[in-house]
Amino acid sequence: MAQIPNLDNSPLNLNALREQSRKDLLNIVDSIRGSKCLVIDPKLAGTLSLILQTSVLKEYGAELRILSADPLQTGCSKVVYLVRSQPNYMKLVADQMKNDEAKGLQRDYFLYFVPCRTIACEKILEEEKVHQKLTIGEYPLYLVPLDEDVLSFELEYSLQECLIEGDTSSVWHVAKAIHKLEFAFGVIPNIRAKGVASTKATELLNNMQLEDPVNMDNMGMAEIDTLILLDREVDMVTPMCSQLTYEGLLDELLEIQNGTVEVDASIMGVQQDGKKVKVPLNSSDKLYKEIRDLNLPVAVQVVHQKATSIQQDYAEVKSTNTQSVSELKDFVKRLNSLPEITRHVNLAQHLQSSATKRSFFARVEIEQIIREVENYETPRCFEYIEDIIQKQEPIETVLRLLVLFSLTNAGLPKKIFDYLRREILHSYGFEHMPLLYNLEKAGLVKRQESRSNWVGISRALQLIVDIKDPEKPPDDISYIFSGYAPLSIRLVQHAVRSGWQPIEQPLKLLPGPHLDLKRGVSSISSSLEVFPGSVGQQSPDRGGLRSLVLVVFIGGVTSAEIAALRFLSAKEGMGYDFLVATTKVITGNTLLRPIMASSKEGTI
Amino acid sequence: LLLKESRELERNPVASKGSIHVPQVRLIDQAYRLFAETKEHLFESKSAEEHAKLLRVQHNLEVSTKQAIFLGSSVSDTIKTCIAMGNERAAVKVKSEFKVPDKRWYWLKACALATVGNWDALEAF
Repeated sequence: MAQIPNLDNSPLNLNALREQSRKDLLNIVDSIRGSKCLVIDPKLAGTLSLILQTSVLKEYGAELRILSADPLQTGCSKVVYLVRSQPNYMKLVADQMKNDEAKGLQRDYFLYFVPCRTIACEKILEEEKVHQKLTIGEYPLYLVPLDEDVLSFELEYSLQECLIEGDTSSVWHVAKAIHKLEFAFGVIPNIRAKGVASTKATELLNNMQLEDPVNMDNMGMAEIDTLILLDREVDMVTPMCSQLTYEGLLDELLEIQNGTVEVDASIMGVQQDGKKVKVPLNSSDKLYKEIRDLNLPVAVQVVHQKATSIQQDYAEVKSTNTQSVSELKDFVKRLNSLPEITRHVNLAQHLQSSATKRSFFARVEIEQIIREVENYETPRCFEYIEDIIQKQEPIETVLRLLVLFSLTNAGLPKKIFDYLRREILHSYGFEHMPLLYNLEKAGLVKRQESRSNWVGISRALQLIVDIKDPEKPPDDISYIFSGYAPLSIRLVQHAVRSGWQPIEQPLKLLPGPHLDLKRGVSSISSSLEVFPGSVGQQSPDRGGLRSLVLVVFIGGVTSAEIAALRFLSAKEGMGYDFLVATTKVITGNTLLRPIMASSKEGTI
Repeated sequence: LLLKESRELERNPVASKGSIHVPQVRLIDQAYRLFAETKEHLFESKSAEEHAKLLRVQHNLEVSTKQAIFLGSSVSDTIKTCIAMGNERAAVKVKSEFKVPDKRWYWLKACALATVGNWDALEAF
């Protein structure tokens, strides 16, 4: 199965979107004559693999290289750099060019910024005195479809930039990307935003609309009905919890990257020691589509059933001799799904071996206690956190629990806060001090100063749900975390159903302002008027069509939350399809890691 | 004050990256004094103080054991290494100097003894 996801079932014509990105890239490659060496930054290379196969680029006469600190080895006289506009890459480019110069090599250099040029980057090139030798262009890749209902901006640093460094360029990026979507699919009439970055993005989007309006005349109805923007900051609780769905666990334990997961060959039942195998994961795999959003035990059951049913069929085929050709055909068809089944049997088995350990259950239980904020249980939580620090378990695990506790309790009591911080520094080294400081600055871990309003929020939005019968098919998104409905998705649920107004109260307790506005086709200029929010039925003129809601998460979203959204749209009586766009698909670990990395570099 | 704050913070990671021992300690000492000037950074200043102390202890350990394996590791790891090398006295010294709680101490000791396979000692303790 290919890594590039099949988008035919997408609620929006994402194929066209991807096709455009592909064409843009090939145009760039094609515009430079002769053989050329295409140098791509490492992160971007992974992203591009979601758009086209590298062999296509070779057909266009391009040699591929990954940008690194080493001097460039190529026989081509033309070098095309394709890099995201990040300052550290500029330095690498300049170094490679200088190295060529020192060797007396004459080359033509082209530099394409992804998605657009920035002044900061060009300044660096000027300082390095290579600006003159470069032909500079842009490759406007803002959005990459990860799957038929998930888009990614691939901005992994966005959260940390907003919260710690005060850099909001990612917000601009998001707004620009949405604006570009509007060019293709029409102006989105309803916008609901919550959080500082989201309202800012809305504002930018409106400005862009004023400066460079989307021509509405030759377009029919807007294909996207509602846009919901949410800051990750609004709900930091959810990503800190361990995900329990099949896809979520795959991401937590093996880390899904660009729609694939890399595992040891031995896990996949191949006898090759030490080798890694890439397994693509997207909805083109029908079985995966079916089980990705289920909790692991349920997913395992489904896979098990499939396997046994094939076994039975096989036995039948063997025992009865009078088989019609069509029956045989059917059977062979079902056999086709066999590789999918074995693949997931292998993966699920691997996950189960970790997820049925006692330590895993203990952690999930502690998370649940922390979410429910039972005061008499607090000492137990501290003891657990203290334990795992002293055992020097991965620091991400410790921080996730610490952040979770701090969020639901509005901080930690000073004495315990200092004690645990000291234990962390002692166990993991003093070099983690800037990290602790940054987490404090981002408001993720702090000293207790006021009473927590988490209980109020969670009551008002019914986040904690008692699941009485776990065997029954779930009827609420709280199944995702076995009894906790992700706050972010609860907000989305309310937003599509009735707008922000009915949940004004709990909304005010969450960080950042909220905004509810309606943009008319006729009144684009006065589009900032705040709509009263009581949009009971939306677009009645659409008839039986389901309306499409684009949910944008600024700062990342977890697989579990995407699962919850898919569950909502599949539910009966929900006339909505969801399309998710995110700066990055994250887990608690991958959310914290950029913060950790930047704290180490000391680039604060 | 804000400016100072950021300067202090920058200093720390830079300091812990440097491989030369003496200037590193000096830098951290400096950071400690800067932190101590303000009231809000009590925790930071204490940590910086401890960090400098740890580096000195590690330096002494490296001199006495003639093995360059201590510098840059955490307090816990230092204790583990000491015990694994059979140098329990040094470990106890580190423990008392950094006021390591008993619970962590027992865990570290058991862990270290198990890694080197010193089962007799593990049983004895």
